[in-house]
Amino acid sequence: MTGISRAHLQIALERLAAAGASAHDELNAQDGKLGDGDLGITVARGWREAADGATELPDDVGMAFLACSKAFQRVSSSSFGTLIATGLMSAAKACKGRSDIPFSESSALLEGAIEAMLKRGKGALGDKTVIDMLEEIRLATAGKADPQEILTATDAAATKALERFRDQPSKLGRARMFGEKSIGLDDPGMLALRRMIDGLTGKMES
Amino acid sequence: MKKILNAPQDYVDEMLDGMCTAHPEFYAQPERRVIARSGGATQGKVGIVTGGGSGHLPIFTGYVGKGLLDAAAIGDVFASPSAEQMAGAMRHANGGAGILRLYGNYGGDVMNFDMAGETVELEDDIESTTVLLADDVVSAPPEEAEKRRGVAGMVYAFKTAGAKAEEMADLANVTRIAQKTADACRSIGMALTPCTVPQAGKPTFTLGEDEMEMGMGIHGEPGIWRDKLKPADAITGEMIERLLADMPLSSGDRVSILVNSLGATPDEELYIMYRHAKMQLEAAGASIVMPLVGRYATSMEMTGATITLCKLDDELEALLKAPADCAFWRV
Repeated sequence: MTGISRAHLQIALERLAAAGASAHDELNAQDGKLGDGDLGITVARGWREAADGATELPDDVGMAFLACSKAFQRVSSSSFGTLIATGLMSAAKACKGRSDIPFSESSALLEGAIEAMLKRGKGALGDKTVIDMLEEIRLATAGKADPQEILTATDAAATKALERFRDQPSKLGRARMFGEKSIGLDDPGMLALRRMIDGLTGKMES
Repeated sequence: MKKILNAPQDYVDEMLDGMCTAHPEFYAQPERRVIARSGGATQGKVGIVTGGGSGHLPIFTGYVGKGLLDAAAIGDVFASPSAEQMAGAMRHANGGAGILRLYGNYGGDVMNFDMAGETVELEDDIESTTVLLADDVVSAPPEEAEKRRGVAGMVYAFKTAGAKAEEMADLANVTRIAQKTADACRSIGMALTPCTVPQAGKPTFTLGEDEMEMGMGIHGEPGIWRDKLKPADAITGEMIERLLADMPLSSGDRVSILVNSLGATPDEELYIMYRHAKMQLEAAGASIVMPLVGRYATSMEMTGATITLCKLDDELEALLKAPADCAFWRV
């Protein structure tokens, strides 16, 4: 296997589900400061549902991503759940018909996901959302083909995005209503992605 | 809360069960929260699918029927169905000629329906298009008309697009008719008393005993003004004036008008409103074609009414008058 395959997704889903469960309370609490406090539920339920279907994932990586997207569609109609489902759907389209996706395509897959998520959420880069962190990761992983290097760069980019946006105000969604109060607080969606990456890094073999 | 129900969480599913068993000649529920024509999809015909929250009967599920819709996805009261349910509705409406998604402009519904469209395109190779109803003139100014909410104008779009699809027109043509109808519709509402969402248990808003609110949305969204209740002619007069300010009519124009109860307002009062509306439209030089008076798009037990005008040309008029059949409307 030279790239992203069904087997990789299965391992990743188990780790993401575990990360979602362990971050459940923290994410609910962070979301409660700026939103309705259900982000931990969304993240934990979505990845758990996707991981529960992992053994039945098809070899076609595109259709496997689609199955993950549908898992989020089923259990979470919140805006964050819909955004994750949208990103996964974008990856599904890009990978349809292939069972082995070169790691070097990671950045391009993110680019497609970012574009689709911005369109669906009617947002822009710089709004202080999870998409800003994805953009940081996209830039950091461009041109990279080695999975370990990609994970290391992803990890560093996530930290960088959190730091860069911490002292900016939120400009989208319910957090926007809090304006100045959101300054100094990590965006709950970014924190959720940070925890997902924590679940993946250091452990995922290529 | 004073409602005839068993448990709030069973409200929607028991309602759908009852509807399908009362009218098996029209409705079937092939999967949970998806209502389709009892005969299934028509091969070779464009399928028309809608969806949205419960609590608006006959909208959405009630208008599944010949010459109207093929399937509807239905959510909890006033809540969007899931993308998965919408995808299910699209599959059950699929006759191999593509699907039109035709529904009201609400954020959650749009997100989920777009996602459902992508899902069935990937999984089932179903081609689909979207037309959104955004007919509530109070919900955004004309320069931001695309942000308006969709209300009773949907009924006209269901009817004309449904008739066009029944002629076995292709997806592009059915979509064109739906968009043309959406563009020709303007609506406005007013409310006297609120409704209560079963799972919330509390009224959606409060209004003084002697007060009304002009322009209020069907889910209790804020309107233009709130004041003492006015006589029927004054209320109707202002509603028609506001519609005409948004969509001027001139001598010789033909319109259909829908005077719609939000649920608790009786037909008697709707006819009192219609009488005045007709005089006013004719004074503007317009003639009325096929007036509709009754419950078409409700908000459970809300007291109040909406008025919709749909400006017609020969094509839309013929489609509006074409045969259609469901448990709530026969043409």
